[in-house]
Amino acid sequence: MAQMANLDNATIDLNALRDHARKELVAALESLDGKKVFILDPKLSGPLALIAQTSLLKEHGVENLYHLSGDPIQSDLRNVIYLVRPQMKLMKMIADQIRHDTQVKIQRQYSIYFTPRRTIVCEKVLEDEGVFADVVMHEYPLDLIPFDEDILSLEMETAYKDAMVDGDRSSLYYVARALTKLQAVFGVIPNVKGKGKGAVAVFDMMKRMRREQLGALPPYSGPPEIDMLILLDRQVDMVTPMCTQLTYEGLIDEFMNIHNGAVEVDPTVMGAVPSQRKMKVPLNSSDKLFRELRDLNFGIVGQVLRQKAEAIKADYTEVRTTDRQAQSVSDLKEFVKKLNVLPEMTRHTNIAQHLTATYTTKPAFLSRLHMEQTLVEGRSLDVTLEYIEDLIQKQEPLTSVLRLLCLFSLTNNGLLKKNFDHIRRELLHSYGFEHVFTLNNLEKAGLFIKQEGKSNWALIKRNLRLTVDDVDDANPNDIAYTYSGYAPISIRLVQQALKTGWRPIDDTLRLLPGPWFEKKQASIMNPGMPAEGGLDTTPLDHSGVHLADGRRSLILVVFIGGVTFAEISALRFLSAQEGVKTDFIVATTKLITGSSLLQTLIEDPS
Amino acid sequence: IVMRESWEIAKDRQMLTPGRGSALQNPRQRLLEQAQELYSRARDHTFQAKAAEEAARLLKVQQELTMSEGQAVFINSSVSDTIRTLITIGNQQRAQRIRSDFKVPEKRWYFLKIAALAATRDFEALEKF
Repeated sequence: MAQMANLDNATIDLNALRDHARKELVAALESLDGKKVFILDPKLSGPLALIAQTSLLKEHGVENLYHLSGDPIQSDLRNVIYLVRPQMKLMKMIADQIRHDTQVKIQRQYSIYFTPRRTIVCEKVLEDEGVFADVVMHEYPLDLIPFDEDILSLEMETAYKDAMVDGDRSSLYYVARALTKLQAVFGVIPNVKGKGKGAVAVFDMMKRMRREQLGALPPYSGPPEIDMLILLDRQVDMVTPMCTQLTYEGLIDEFMNIHNGAVEVDPTVMGAVPSQRKMKVPLNSSDKLFRELRDLNFGIVGQVLRQKAEAIKADYTEVRTTDRQAQSVSDLKEFVKKLNVLPEMTRHTNIAQHLTATYTTKPAFLSRLHMEQTLVEGRSLDVTLEYIEDLIQKQEPLTSVLRLLCLFSLTNNGLLKKNFDHIRRELLHSYGFEHVFTLNNLEKAGLFIKQEGKSNWALIKRNLRLTVDDVDDANPNDIAYTYSGYAPISIRLVQQALKTGWRPIDDTLRLLPGPWFEKKQASIMNPGMPAEGGLDTTPLDHSGVHLADGRRSLILVVFIGGVTFAEISALRFLSAQEGVKTDFIVATTKLITGSSLLQTLIEDPS
Repeated sequence: IVMRESWEIAKDRQMLTPGRGSALQNPRQRLLEQAQELYSRARDHTFQAKAAEEAARLLKVQQELTMSEGQAVFINSSVSDTIRTLITIGNQQRAQRIRSDFKVPEKRWYFLKIAALAATRDFEALEKF
């Protein structure tokens, strides 16, 4: 199990959130007496590991821990607890297991915990399968899981697809519910800004939930700990995830996939003996060196590591050459303490070297970056389209092809009909006709469309200063360093919200998808008060947050539909700037890369 | 109209997927033809109608190939995959025919040919290019 992130340094008490989730888990486990089998939706085991260690499960009577599959339960124990997402195919597996038990005449008690909530569809499936009467159903509201001291995630990977393609708003409901709960713990957030359809919907639901006093948590008294909430629908900025992240953590995620705050690597990469089993390397702020490296542009990571290595070497030479008599024990102790960083040094040197050797120095990677830059800057479109056509005809991995294609479509407001049809045909011929549905999904989400009308990308780019020519990756002065010259739209909007509010950029906001708002929420949550007066929201007339006492303000940025690590790095960079007295906490439905997001839109026939 | 279209798409989806991987390919053939029917009736779906038509045609060719080559590697693979497999197993003629039947652009054809010949280490044929 990967090491959990240390949350002690978080700007708000995230340990409280983790403890709360843990407590509810224990309550679930204790709902059946004695020893029990705990069967887990495989998709949940990663997130759950961020809440509780296996030892905690053992302490509360879990004898066997299994991933849910279609196979019968291998245990003599009578008590079975399931923890699952409300999905139909999982219900079928549960039904299979129960029916198998009935056949071989094993009597058991079955408890199903749904997270985040039970749904009528699932109940219906259990009913149809004839096991409805055998199970007891509960809910385990696993909401925002702390991934790090400034990252919270709901871990709902299909949130974007659900909302954009299927018109399913349940993920928006979960976001609203989680934020309502957060407000119950940390106080009502006085300033709220939002952009995009999803953002508006979430805020509306939040207001309604407050009115209905959902959550049943005791009302919070005292000043609010979070000063501003910014809700961003991923749809507002799909360009950013389609570009390759160039920060250290972002690149690791792009090439090696970070899951639940850890990356799995081949042991040889880490200099260990070759083995079938992959090594799990935790990546969070508890690793002090990683904390330093994660937000840097990858181009300078090697340099920083070298400097650190040289510093250690210099210290070592000093220890060796100074007169032994003159050396005090405390000098030595000082030196040994510095050596503590060595395991981390080795770890990150290995990872960085692997990234360099296997990916970032390859011509394919470099030409791809060049194409992305060309597209973002809106230059020579024929060349990029031909490049994409080549990728398709060579049958390069579908997600990486679609990323570039969507970037093309997004920055050009679609493809000319002639090109649109040609590229679509080439895609179907190369990857199979079943992708007619993938194309349909992309079209519905507005990611790959036929051109109708001119693109206003050039205007958006200029107004928000999205491309910065002379950004120095080693000593950056702008968030554009995260993509070596491109500044994420999403973070530019946050920056603007901080500086002047959104009113002055009305014209630009209009060019981006979806409505927007800036509101104030009454800060006192008084359950005794009539709903109208205290809870009504009024438009915000001044720009940002002004704190008289010189305290740093805290802004919660919520990315509905997913966020990339590079965007988080850009926020951290902002808060470290001189004169910016703001800390950020990021909450999202899922930590994504462009590829993992598109993967949810690809129709898999199997 | 939008409702009707989406209903048709949903129906297509249901029709196309169950056939996948099953041994009975003929019902699938019929479903694809039906899909084409439905798509061509709906407005603005000429592209999908054409795709369904091509998919049905490809499936037919693949069924023939499975019989004639005695290998079950063709079904469920794409047009490009089918061409590549054919070149790999040395059936250039058949590959050529699919190329013209499905109007494969020259560039894609050469990419596939090079990939297939390189995979089989047929350097002689590669030289001849």
